[in-house]
Amino acid sequence: MTLADKQEALTQQKSPSPWTIARRKFVKNKLAMISLTFLLTVIILSILAPYITTKDIVRIDFTQISQPPSSESWLGTDTNGRDVFTRMLYAGRSSLTVGLTCMLFITLIGTAVGAIAGYFGGKVDQWLMRFTDFMLMFPFMIFVIVLNTILVGKISGLWTLIIVISLLSWGGFARVVRSKVLAEKENEYVLAAQSIGCKPYKIIMKHLLPNIASIIIVQATLMMAVTIVAESGLSFLGLGVPPDTPSWGNMLFEARNSDVLKEKVWIWVPPAVAITLVILSINFIGEGLKDALNPKSRR
Amino acid sequence: MDLMLEVKNLKTGFDIDGQIYHAVDDVSFSVEPGKIVGIVGESGCGKSVMSLSVMQLLPKGIGQITGGEIKFQGKNIENYTNNQMNQIRGKDISMIFQEPMTSLNPVFTIGSQIEEIILNHNKISKAEARERAINLLRQVGIPRVETIIDEYPHQLSGGMRQRIMIAIAIACQPQLLIADEPTTALDVTVQAQILELLKKIQEQNNMSIILITHDLGVVAELCDEVIIMYAGKIVERTNVDKLFYDPQHPYTKLLMASIPRLDIEVDTLETIQGIVPSLKNMPKVGCRFMDRCPSAMPQCKTITPKLAEITDNHEVACLLFEASNSEKGVS
Ligand SMILES: Nc1ncnc2c1ncn2[C@@H]1O[C@H](COP(=O)(O)OP(=O)(O)O)[C@@H](O)[C@H]1O
Ligand SMILES: [Mg+2]
Repeated sequence: MTLADKQEALTQQKSPSPWTIARRKFVKNKLAMISLTFLLTVIILSILAPYITTKDIVRIDFTQISQPPSSESWLGTDTNGRDVFTRMLYAGRSSLTVGLTCMLFITLIGTAVGAIAGYFGGKVDQWLMRFTDFMLMFPFMIFVIVLNTILVGKISGLWTLIIVISLLSWGGFARVVRSKVLAEKENEYVLAAQSIGCKPYKIIMKHLLPNIASIIIVQATLMMAVTIVAESGLSFLGLGVPPDTPSWGNMLFEARNSDVLKEKVWIWVPPAVAITLVILSINFIGEGLKDALNPKSRR
Repeated sequence: MDLMLEVKNLKTGFDIDGQIYHAVDDVSFSVEPGKIVGIVGESGCGKSVMSLSVMQLLPKGIGQITGGEIKFQGKNIENYTNNQMNQIRGKDISMIFQEPMTSLNPVFTIGSQIEEIILNHNKISKAEARERAINLLRQVGIPRVETIIDEYPHQLSGGMRQRIMIAIAIACQPQLLIADEPTTALDVTVQAQILELLKKIQEQNNMSIILITHDLGVVAELCDEVIIMYAGKIVERTNVDKLFYDPQHPYTKLLMASIPRLDIEVDTLETIQGIVPSLKNMPKVGCRFMDRCPSAMPQCKTITPKLAEITDNHEVACLLFEASNSEKGVS
């Protein structure tokens, strides 16, 4: 067979799109698939919480304080006599809502700012990046406390937290997108797109972003892990989700009592394990996506 | 006859560390309708910068036109806004680039990239655009059009991709096509096919082409008029016959000597010694080619030669010719 014949034979089969290739690779990645299944299970369980258990998550019951796990309450009860398993499910709702919503906001703001700065360059870039740096340098804790005081009562504590985390975390994302756009726009296809009369908005949306989508997707995934950790951290410190709404972070809050920490492990181990496993699985999914979307590792 | 393109005293500079250096310095030429004009020069002579200036696609914030006029079909376009240029780009003036491997967007099918330019400039349905795309692919000699139209660029060879770039460039039947080294990245055999295709389309659509190349062999095959550029300036301009039978500028002669020839057997191909000066090292006065010129004279250092007609339709910028010596007041 001559080289030309071989090429001919190669091109005979219909070429799969880059997305198809990536999907096939991702599905083959066992660790990533297990992680994805786990994460989806956790998400579905939290959504279905009211159908799985009917126990109250708020009402304090002094007759049931700190009961160890039993057939009645699978994971025992906390220091206020509330069922830990039930609270875990509802807490998953808060923590995952924070993670997913923040991821969405951060990705939208970060991508918009980064892509505009990178594509237009010059003055636009300078000002946008100055603003980004300003947001990044903002003292996190002070901002959290101030915004909390301003927003408290106006919107729910959960949304205050989402706004705070999103506003303070898009900066790094924007930087990554900007540097990728800067590199990507050097490709001749961008010049070619300009040379056929494409408007800047269209070049960014249609030509640049799809080509850096892999970076955006991977970054967004990891961002979800980061914001869930941030939620837990802030809630643990009493600055995050208010105690009347359970979240994995404020469930850990109870472990600050040394008696609970040492003697009543069923109260704090479940949220700790949930956070750890969720973060781990998000990271494995992120790694899997990175591998699958990397054109260099494509067969 | 109205000119297709007229460039007058064009100056294009780059901002390097706060100072402007000119990559195209006082260049004037014109392109007639239905003619192919070749622009020849070594790498770094300012050919690409010149064509990007015409398209107003210079790198934003770094490159800018600092003087001169660009007239397209009689209208001055050098001050057009980006929006106005977008109406022209791809519709009236198109461009083909050197690197077919990176000129196509890797995440879109061939078909959608051809449809894009058609939909940019025409109010028609997607189905009609696809119909036109299929016809265009046939016109540029793509085999198995029905399959290839839905494929992604990564499976195609360089030659095939360049054909697709040509299909995109001619999709809206532009009157002027700027081809910046369209065959430099391709194999010799493929090169010849692509040039043939360009010639065929030029005749069918009766468009003008500016063909940029560093290969005089390409010029001989295709062009009507030739411009030789060196270090941001035009050093010789004439029609293709005069250029090959009667080259005048020492730089042109050296370029000629470096074309491989089949009829004469040579052991080593003559190459020109030295390199094109970089923007920062450009001499302010005198001839820019002096350092590499076999016929350099003392006055080449102090007098800047000017492009002047030495015989009918033959302009040269070299002090070997009285007419180029501006100090003696000949014009
Ligand atoms: N973006 C840029 N910034 C600074 N200098 C540039 C840029 N692009 C081109 N140049 C300079 O302009 C000169 C002409 O380049 P170019 O037009 O690309 O040459 P060629 O004739 O090979 O197409 C070169 O000296 C090159 O270094
Ligand atoms: Mg070039």
